[in-house]
Amino acid sequence: MSTGAQRVADVAALQQQLAAVGYIAERSFAAGLLLMTELKRPLLLEGDAGVGKTEVAKALAAVRGTRLIRLQCYEGLDAHSAMYEWNYQRQLLAIKLHEQDDRSVAAKEQDIFSERYLLKRPLLEAISCTQSPVLLIDEVDRADEAFEAYLLELLSDFQMSIPELGTVTAVSVPFVVVTSNGTRELSDALRRRCLYQFVEYPSFEKELAILEIRAPEAAGELARQVVQFVQDTRRMDLQKRPGIAETLDWTAALLRLGVTAIGQDATEAIMESLAALIKTRDDRTAFTPEVVGRMAAAC
Amino acid sequence: MPDTPDLSGALRARLAGFSGFLQANGFGVGGGDSSRVLLVASQVGILHPQMLRWSLKALLCGRPSEWHRFDALFDAYFLPANKKVFVEGARDTTSYRKPSPCESQDSAQVPGLPRRGAGNHRQPPERYAASREESLESADFRELARAEEVRDIEALMRRLARQMKRVRMRREARSLRGRRFDLPGTIRRSIEHGGVPLSVVWRDRRRIRPRIVVLLDVSRSMSQYSFFYLRLARALSAELSDIYGFIFHTRLTAISEALRDADPWRAQEKMHLLAAGWGGGTRIGDCLRDFNRDHMARRVHSRTAVIIVSDGYDTGEPKTLADALRALRRRARRIIWINPISTQPGWSPVSAGMQAALPHIDLLAPGADLATIKRVLPDIIESLR
Repeated sequence: MSTGAQRVADVAALQQQLAAVGYIAERSFAAGLLLMTELKRPLLLEGDAGVGKTEVAKALAAVRGTRLIRLQCYEGLDAHSAMYEWNYQRQLLAIKLHEQDDRSVAAKEQDIFSERYLLKRPLLEAISCTQSPVLLIDEVDRADEAFEAYLLELLSDFQMSIPELGTVTAVSVPFVVVTSNGTRELSDALRRRCLYQFVEYPSFEKELAILEIRAPEAAGELARQVVQFVQDTRRMDLQKRPGIAETLDWTAALLRLGVTAIGQDATEAIMESLAALIKTRDDRTAFTPEVVGRMAAAC
Repeated sequence: MPDTPDLSGALRARLAGFSGFLQANGFGVGGGDSSRVLLVASQVGILHPQMLRWSLKALLCGRPSEWHRFDALFDAYFLPANKKVFVEGARDTTSYRKPSPCESQDSAQVPGLPRRGAGNHRQPPERYAASREESLESADFRELARAEEVRDIEALMRRLARQMKRVRMRREARSLRGRRFDLPGTIRRSIEHGGVPLSVVWRDRRRIRPRIVVLLDVSRSMSQYSFFYLRLARALSAELSDIYGFIFHTRLTAISEALRDADPWRAQEKMHLLAAGWGGGTRIGDCLRDFNRDHMARRVHSRTAVIIVSDGYDTGEPKTLADALRALRRRARRIIWINPISTQPGWSPVSAGMQAALPHIDLLAPGADLATIKRVLPDIIESLR
């Protein structure tokens, strides 16, 4: 139980710790993150691609000084490649080898299904760490519902049943960060198990702060102009709006091309470097030299 | 108010009521959440309302639409109505004026307050209850049970339902007989015979049965097809359990219950009551948007096929339609648009509504009568896959 002032101080401290490892978080986001570490509930992050959802897990792991275990979801991901798998080849080999010795069948079987033949996949690994790791379940919307159901079981009890070995209970409860890009609607059950944060595109100030931390060589006026240009770009009607990663890429590209200030005269360099910022053909056609020139002049 | 774990009774009740308030506003919160609210409140403290707001926001929201509406609802619930302005100015500042416990007790006594206080927040629409007064131009639903056609329709819908039970996915799963040999599965099975692979395990494509949501346009331009489709929907409802029906013209009405009624006369009576505004203009976009807001969370999941039956003549904004379809497309498995007039000579999807819809739908099928439906049935089954 903390008093109001104490709580504000705690959140501010977490905010500073995150900034120290290169992640700029708003106060409200830090408050949600603090609550997640206290309640030990999974955190579901949603938002457009490139707003820094995955970075949250990395920053959290750095702040807590623990391992980051990452499970990248994809279509067709099944429980076995996410939780555990038996090393079939080694088991087969062992069966052959054991044919000669005269132990009982039960003993042989016990040997074949011992931990030596168990391949730990991210989820099993996460619950068998002694110190709470950060478990990042990335882009969970790409996996199918069956997998989501498995995940639910894990996230509510933090235990896993392996028929041959018995139930494995978490040694320490991991900090779970689940991200989703919203390509598929997640089940309500999963949503209800998790705390939720919707990550928006960063504000001007936040993006400037991120750029200054991540690309210090573009300090000062150029950074401000870059952020202004990107923010203007996001306001356009694009298929794929640039995320923070694109901003950083684009800044690197501009620096490489020797641009020191964005303006009407830098239009050509901007056009050359747009590949780092604009990622679809339809969007690219919207950026004619005239449009870019006008936007650059406005920065 | 001392900030102690044993919050006073009235405050506890106020906090505990918050999740119910959100639920009434369409949030996907459940029974256990009110105790979690109390837990979080005692963890975070209530002296700094912004902290409470952010923490509860993380706890109780589950999807972007809820996330964006939360702040307005939080204000409406916890602040007296005329204090709203104060909150909007205070983002991360400390000039925030906290609601004192006595105020929250006061407002707790006014149950009508929250909705009024929601201010600029987009209000949920008024629920239009069906009433006899409103149905000025109601349809003649005796048509619903015309015997000769009904038999054909029922036969066809039985076929559709039967085929839908066999829709197979691309994805594979273990099965007893199938098309590909499953080595790990077979080895796993062989253990019980001491390593002799007596029983062989196969992999085959998974089967699913999709949920179906039918959105039926009953505006004037559709009037000669509406009954036919209602009969189709009724026959399909009898075959499948996981199907939901809606009719729309200038607004949207759920008809699942009426469709499923075993007694044809009672079904007619129910429809009659629901049919207010029947045969008027169409606002497809607005109706779909209403559907997304009020029903999508519960009715549409990622195995859902949404079937829209409409001629695409929309009197609303095409952009609204496109936006609503895009949102629906993200959540639904397939969107199938059946257009009854598309078999007419010289028809092409040039109406603004069809133009807006085309990029977001998976299959545009014709369907003026039973023969046409029979012809496109394989396409529909295929697109459900």
